Amino acid sequence: MIEDLAGAIEITQRIEAPPEIVFAYLTDSRRFVKWMGVGAELDARPGGRYRIDVDGEHIASGKYQVVEPPRRLVMSWGWEGHPTVPPGSTTVEITLTLEKGATVLRLRHLGLPDEGERRQHTEGWRLYASQLAVATTDRPSSGP
Amino acid sequence: MPRMQVRTRNRYAGLEAAMEAIASPRRRQILRLVWGAERSAGEIAATVPDVTWPAVSQNLRVLKNSGLITERRQGTHRYYKADRKALGPLEVVLRQMWTRDLGRLRELAEAEAKSSRRGHD
Repeated sequence: MIEDLAGAIEITQRIEAPPEIVFAYLTDSRRFVKWMGVGAELDARPGGRYRIDVDGEHIASGKYQVVEPPRRLVMSWGWEGHPTVPPGSTTVEITLTLEKGATVLRLRHLGLPDEGERRQHTEGWRLYASQLAVATTDRPSSGP
Repeated sequence: MPRMQVRTRNRYAGLEAAMEAIASPRRRQILRLVWGAERSAGEIAATVPDVTWPAVSQNLRVLKNSGLITERRQGTHRYYKADRKALGPLEVVLRQMWTRDLGRLRELAEAEAKSSRRGHD
Protein backbone atom coordinates (compact mmCIF):
# COMPACT_ATOMS: atom_id res chain seq x y z
CA MET A 1 0.00 0.00 0.00
CA ILE A 2 2.11 2.81 -1.27
CA GLU A 3 -0.15 5.77 -1.78
CA ASP A 4 1.06 8.29 0.74
CA LEU A 5 3.25 10.64 -1.22
CA ALA A 6 3.33 13.33 1.42
CA GLY A 7 6.38 12.94 3.60
CA ALA A 8 8.25 10.91 1.00
CA ILE A 9 11.89 10.81 0.10
CA GLU A 10 13.17 9.58 -3.23
CA ILE A 11 16.80 8.89 -4.00
CA THR A 12 18.33 7.37 -7.10
CA GLN A 13 21.79 5.91 -7.26
CA ARG A 14 23.51 4.54 -10.34
CA ILE A 15 25.75 1.58 -9.61
CA GLU A 16 28.22 0.01 -12.04
CA ALA A 17 27.36 -3.53 -10.97
CA PRO A 18 24.72 -6.08 -11.93
CA PRO A 19 21.40 -5.99 -10.01
CA GLU A 20 22.20 -9.43 -8.53
CA ILE A 21 25.20 -8.05 -6.65
CA VAL A 22 23.34 -4.93 -5.53
CA PHE A 23 20.41 -7.04 -4.37
CA ALA A 24 22.79 -9.17 -2.32
CA TYR A 25 24.02 -6.04 -0.54
CA LEU A 26 20.43 -5.23 0.33
CA THR A 27 19.41 -8.62 1.61
CA ASP A 28 22.46 -10.54 2.82
CA SER A 29 23.24 -9.62 6.46
CA ARG A 30 26.98 -10.00 6.05
CA ARG A 31 27.12 -7.68 3.07
CA PHE A 32 24.47 -5.35 4.44
CA VAL A 33 26.44 -4.29 7.52
CA LYS A 34 29.25 -3.14 5.29
CA TRP A 35 27.18 -0.16 4.20
CA MET A 36 24.63 0.33 6.93
CA GLY A 37 24.65 -0.17 10.67
CA VAL A 38 26.90 -2.09 12.98
CA GLY A 39 24.81 -5.25 13.03
CA ALA A 40 21.93 -6.67 11.02
CA GLU A 41 19.67 -9.69 11.05
CA LEU A 42 17.82 -9.94 7.78
CA ASP A 43 15.27 -12.57 6.88
CA ALA A 44 14.65 -11.31 3.37
CA ARG A 45 11.52 -13.14 2.26
CA PRO A 46 7.92 -11.94 2.17
CA GLY A 47 6.72 -11.69 5.76
CA GLY A 48 10.26 -12.09 7.08
CA ARG A 49 11.62 -9.64 9.60
CA TYR A 50 14.74 -7.57 9.80
CA ARG A 51 16.50 -5.78 12.61
CA ILE A 52 19.33 -3.35 12.05
CA ASP A 53 21.50 -2.04 14.83
CA VAL A 54 22.30 1.31 13.33
CA ASP A 55 24.87 2.55 15.82
CA GLY A 56 24.81 0.38 18.92
CA GLU A 57 21.99 2.50 20.29
CA HIS A 58 19.24 2.86 17.70
CA ILE A 59 17.50 -0.17 16.22
CA ALA A 60 15.61 -0.02 12.94
CA SER A 61 13.26 -2.92 12.38
CA GLY A 62 10.40 -4.04 10.22
CA LYS A 63 8.95 -6.64 7.94
CA TYR A 64 9.59 -7.46 4.30
CA GLN A 65 6.46 -7.03 2.23
CA VAL A 66 7.81 -7.64 -1.27
CA VAL A 67 11.00 -9.55 -2.07
CA GLU A 68 11.57 -10.01 -5.78
CA PRO A 69 15.23 -10.72 -6.49
CA PRO A 70 16.96 -8.96 -8.06
CA ARG A 71 14.49 -6.19 -8.85
CA ARG A 72 12.34 -5.03 -6.01
CA LEU A 73 12.20 -4.86 -2.25
CA VAL A 74 9.47 -3.33 -0.09
CA MET A 75 9.64 -3.28 3.68
CA SER A 76 8.13 -1.51 6.61
CA TRP A 77 10.58 0.72 8.44
CA GLY A 78 10.74 2.28 11.88
CA TRP A 79 12.85 2.79 14.96
CA GLU A 80 12.29 0.67 18.06
CA GLY A 81 11.06 2.79 20.96
CA HIS A 82 10.59 5.81 18.75
CA PRO A 83 7.56 7.96 19.60
CA THR A 84 6.59 9.00 16.06
CA VAL A 85 8.46 6.67 13.71
CA PRO A 86 8.00 3.27 15.39
CA PRO A 87 8.41 -0.01 13.48
CA GLY A 88 5.63 -0.42 10.95
CA SER A 89 5.00 3.29 10.61
CA THR A 90 6.88 3.98 7.37
CA THR A 91 7.67 2.09 4.18
CA VAL A 92 10.89 1.75 2.22
CA GLU A 93 10.64 0.64 -1.39
CA ILE A 94 13.75 -0.15 -3.40
CA THR A 95 13.71 -0.96 -7.09
CA LEU A 96 16.68 -2.00 -9.21
CA THR A 97 16.61 -1.39 -12.94
CA LEU A 98 19.20 -2.55 -15.42
CA GLU A 99 20.24 0.37 -17.58
CA LYS A 100 23.13 0.22 -20.07
CA GLY A 101 24.95 -2.44 -18.09
CA ALA A 102 24.55 -0.64 -14.79
CA THR A 103 21.98 -0.84 -12.02
CA VAL A 104 19.84 2.15 -11.23
CA LEU A 105 18.72 1.90 -7.64
CA ARG A 106 15.70 3.91 -6.69
CA LEU A 107 14.81 4.20 -3.04
CA ARG A 108 11.57 5.69 -1.79
CA HIS A 109 10.94 6.23 1.88
CA LEU A 110 7.23 6.83 2.37
CA GLY A 111 4.81 7.71 5.12
CA LEU A 112 7.08 9.91 7.19
CA PRO A 113 5.17 11.73 9.90
CA ASP A 114 4.07 15.19 8.96
CA GLU A 115 3.75 16.84 12.33
CA GLY A 116 4.70 20.15 13.81
CA GLU A 117 8.11 21.61 13.10
CA ARG A 118 9.16 21.19 16.68
CA ARG A 119 8.42 17.49 16.70
CA GLN A 120 10.28 16.95 13.48
CA HIS A 121 13.30 18.72 14.77
CA THR A 122 13.36 16.41 17.73
CA GLU A 123 13.20 13.36 15.51
CA GLY A 124 15.83 14.98 13.34
CA TRP A 125 18.14 15.12 16.26
CA ARG A 126 17.70 11.46 17.15
CA LEU A 127 18.27 10.29 13.64
CA TYR A 128 21.10 12.71 13.14
CA ALA A 129 22.82 11.21 16.12
CA SER A 130 22.52 7.69 14.80
CA GLN A 131 23.57 8.78 11.36
CA LEU A 132 26.64 10.49 12.67
CA ALA A 133 27.63 7.71 14.95
CA VAL A 134 27.75 5.53 11.87
CA ALA A 135 29.43 8.10 9.66
CA THR A 136 32.29 8.49 12.04
CA THR A 137 32.31 4.91 13.31
CA ASP A 138 32.29 6.63 16.64
CA ARG A 139 30.77 3.98 18.85
CA PRO A 140 30.89 3.73 22.60
CA SER A 141 33.76 1.29 23.08
CA SER A 142 34.11 0.86 26.81
CA GLY A 143 32.94 2.82 29.78
CA PRO A 144 30.75 5.91 29.64
CA MET B 1 18.75 41.16 1.03
CA PRO B 2 22.33 40.23 1.80
CA ARG B 3 21.38 38.84 5.16
CA MET B 4 19.04 36.28 3.62
CA GLN B 5 21.69 35.09 1.21
CA VAL B 6 24.08 34.45 4.05
CA ARG B 7 21.44 32.48 5.86
CA THR B 8 20.73 30.28 2.87
CA ARG B 9 24.37 29.52 2.28
CA ASN B 10 24.87 28.77 5.92
CA ARG B 11 22.17 26.13 5.92
CA TYR B 12 24.47 23.79 4.02
CA ALA B 13 27.76 24.84 5.53
CA GLY B 14 25.99 24.57 8.85
CA LEU B 15 24.95 21.00 8.17
CA GLU B 16 28.58 19.95 7.81
CA ALA B 17 29.57 21.79 10.97
CA ALA B 18 26.66 20.23 12.83
CA MET B 19 27.65 16.74 11.68
CA GLU B 20 31.16 17.28 12.90
CA ALA B 21 30.00 18.78 16.16
CA ILE B 22 27.89 15.82 17.17
CA ALA B 23 30.40 13.21 16.07
CA SER B 24 31.73 13.30 19.62
CA PRO B 25 29.81 11.34 22.28
CA ARG B 26 30.78 13.97 24.85
CA ARG B 27 29.30 16.75 22.79
CA ARG B 28 26.16 14.72 22.21
CA GLN B 29 25.91 14.33 25.96
CA ILE B 30 26.17 18.09 26.43
CA LEU B 31 23.68 18.69 23.64
CA ARG B 32 21.14 16.37 25.28
CA LEU B 33 21.65 18.24 28.50
CA VAL B 34 20.75 21.61 27.00
CA TRP B 35 18.11 20.15 24.68
CA GLY B 36 15.09 20.86 26.82
CA ALA B 37 16.31 23.69 29.02
CA GLU B 38 18.86 26.42 29.21
CA ARG B 39 21.72 25.56 31.57
CA SER B 40 24.62 27.48 32.98
CA ALA B 41 28.19 26.57 32.18
CA GLY B 42 28.63 25.52 35.80
CA GLU B 43 25.65 23.15 35.68
CA ILE B 44 26.94 21.58 32.48
CA ALA B 45 30.41 21.11 33.92
CA ALA B 46 28.94 19.52 37.06
CA THR B 47 27.19 16.80 35.08
CA VAL B 48 30.42 15.67 33.45
CA PRO B 49 32.67 15.45 36.52
CA ASP B 50 35.20 13.21 34.82
CA VAL B 51 36.08 15.96 32.35
CA THR B 52 38.13 19.08 33.05
CA TRP B 53 36.55 22.49 32.64
CA PRO B 54 38.79 23.47 29.69
CA ALA B 55 37.61 20.34 27.87
CA VAL B 56 33.96 21.12 28.58
CA SER B 57 34.53 24.71 27.54
CA GLN B 58 36.15 23.60 24.29
CA ASN B 59 33.21 21.30 23.53
CA LEU B 60 30.77 24.11 24.23
CA ARG B 61 32.70 26.30 21.82
CA VAL B 62 32.54 23.70 19.04
CA LEU B 63 28.81 23.27 19.59
CA LYS B 64 28.31 27.02 19.61
CA ASN B 65 30.33 27.56 16.43
CA SER B 66 28.34 24.87 14.66
CA GLY B 67 25.17 26.76 15.56
CA LEU B 68 23.71 23.81 17.48
CA ILE B 69 23.64 25.70 20.75
CA THR B 70 23.29 29.34 21.59
CA GLU B 71 25.08 31.22 24.33
CA ARG B 72 23.61 33.92 26.51
CA ARG B 73 25.78 36.00 28.79
CA GLN B 74 24.46 37.52 31.94
CA GLY B 75 27.02 39.29 34.08
CA THR B 76 29.88 36.86 34.50
CA HIS B 77 27.66 33.84 33.83
CA ARG B 78 27.12 32.05 30.57
CA TYR B 79 24.03 30.05 29.71
CA TYR B 80 23.56 27.58 26.91
CA LYS B 81 20.64 25.98 25.16
CA ALA B 82 20.16 23.91 22.03
CA ASP B 83 18.99 25.52 18.82
CA ARG B 84 16.88 22.67 17.53
CA LYS B 85 16.18 24.33 14.22
CA ALA B 86 19.84 24.04 13.35
CA LEU B 87 19.43 20.27 13.11
CA GLY B 88 16.95 20.48 10.28
CA PRO B 89 13.74 18.58 9.69
CA LEU B 90 13.36 14.82 9.57
CA GLU B 91 13.25 14.66 5.79
CA VAL B 92 16.60 16.35 5.43
CA VAL B 93 18.17 14.05 7.95
CA LEU B 94 16.80 10.88 6.38
CA ARG B 95 17.73 12.01 2.92
CA GLN B 96 21.26 12.56 4.10
CA MET B 97 21.36 9.17 5.74
CA TRP B 98 20.11 7.30 2.69
CA THR B 99 22.29 9.25 0.30
CA ARG B 100 25.42 8.60 2.29
CA ASP B 101 24.67 4.94 2.91
CA LEU B 102 23.65 4.22 -0.67
CA GLY B 103 26.86 5.90 -1.80
CA ARG B 104 28.74 3.37 0.27
CA LEU B 105 26.63 0.52 -1.08
CA ARG B 106 27.53 1.65 -4.59
CA GLU B 107 31.26 1.56 -3.85
CA LEU B 108 31.04 -1.92 -2.36
CA ALA B 109 28.87 -3.38 -5.11
CA GLU B 110 31.08 -1.86 -7.81
CA ALA B 111 34.22 -3.24 -6.18
CA GLU B 112 32.63 -6.67 -5.96
CA ALA B 113 31.43 -6.52 -9.58
CA LYS B 114 34.92 -5.54 -10.71
CA SER B 115 36.64 -8.34 -8.84
CA SER B 116 34.11 -10.94 -10.07
CA ARG B 117 34.69 -9.74 -13.66
CA ARG B 118 38.41 -10.16 -13.13
CA GLY B 119 37.71 -13.64 -11.84
CA HIS B 120 36.11 -14.58 -15.16
CA ASP B 121 39.04 -13.35 -17.29
